[in-house]
Amino acid sequence: MYYLPLPRTVIPAVMIATVVLVIWLAWGSWQDPERFWAPGHLSRYHADISRCMSCHEAFRGPVTAKCVQCHSVARFAERTMPSAAAFHQEFIRQQHTCVSCHTEHRGALAHITSHAAKNPHGDFVFAVTGTTSCTACHVFEPAFGLPPAVLDNDQVRSVRAKGSGAHRPGHMAHCFQCHGGEFLKGSNAGIK
Amino acid sequence: MTVLSRRLVIIGLSVTVAVAAAWVVEAFLSIGKPSPFAHSRQGHLTGWVGLGTTLLVFVYPIKKRIGQNRRWPRHWFRVHLMAGVMGPLLILLHSGAHLHALVPSLALAAMAVVAVSGIVGQGVHYLALRTLNDRRRQLHDQGLNADEVEAHLHRMAAQEEAFRLWQSIHAPMTLMFLVLTVLHVLGAIYFGGL
Repeated sequence: MYYLPLPRTVIPAVMIATVVLVIWLAWGSWQDPERFWAPGHLSRYHADISRCMSCHEAFRGPVTAKCVQCHSVARFAERTMPSAAAFHQEFIRQQHTCVSCHTEHRGALAHITSHAAKNPHGDFVFAVTGTTSCTACHVFEPAFGLPPAVLDNDQVRSVRAKGSGAHRPGHMAHCFQCHGGEFLKGSNAGIK
Repeated sequence: MTVLSRRLVIIGLSVTVAVAAAWVVEAFLSIGKPSPFAHSRQGHLTGWVGLGTTLLVFVYPIKKRIGQNRRWPRHWFRVHLMAGVMGPLLILLHSGAHLHALVPSLALAAMAVVAVSGIVGQGVHYLALRTLNDRRRQLHDQGLNADEVEAHLHRMAAQEEAFRLWQSIHAPMTLMFLVLTVLHVLGAIYFGGL
């Protein structure tokens, strides 16, 4: 089969276009690295992080040593129940990595813990309360399997107040029996 | 509808179905998994296999230009066609419909331009050659001599040349595809680890 040679200008034109593209990519990577390189948006838990190297180590990926810079023993003690802190410390001591259970870059509303209990309220509850964590409204029992208790704080009172117009104030568990997930159960309209 | 437009429609539909099928398979493999298949270890492996398959396409142009007897390497051309279809399909399975980062998205777009221009070009070129040969046979059967036949075919051949635009896209865009692919692979290794 015989093909004519390419016009002389084609290769130089594409080479110039490629160089311009690479320069633009380098500039963009400096300005907004997530847009150019990340496979998805960070979750709401890590949305305030803007530098890739806060979590990633060059040629090693996301490493535990970076995670514990923020998720320190002191922070665990401050924000979680003792059994959760002890579980994570033991896990790290056994040389497991954080990314063996936790994922990222799955979007702002993604669940970042593999095999964790699903939030029965759906992401709706975070939109209503403005919180980002279950522990903002709940305290978890040390024993596995027991339902978490509801705290009496501003977020909880705020949700109760929001429900007082359309519905009589009551237990939040009742609210979320219908307002669970992204839709109003029993409605064909799929109200959000 | 002319033969040419029918062929272009068939090629367009086939490419659309192939892309959709690869992405549906990726979505199916992601069901019930914490991460999409494309971002799993198996997904990354599929990417490496796809890249290896795609790189096979370069044996043909190298053989065509380098070598003692510059005969047309027919067998490597077949490998070029097969790898040029199978490689991008594996890459599509590796990518899934997750187009967030610009660098891999641009690499995917460049690959699509190279692959589709190759398929369209080959389809149109084969069709044009076949039409040209059929017409030549008809003119010979009508009793025209060689010069008269060539004069009649000259206009048709000129029209066929107009379709050669694909060659000006197919080969040079390969450079952009390679550069973007190298950047994507380096970026994935740099941020994701070896």
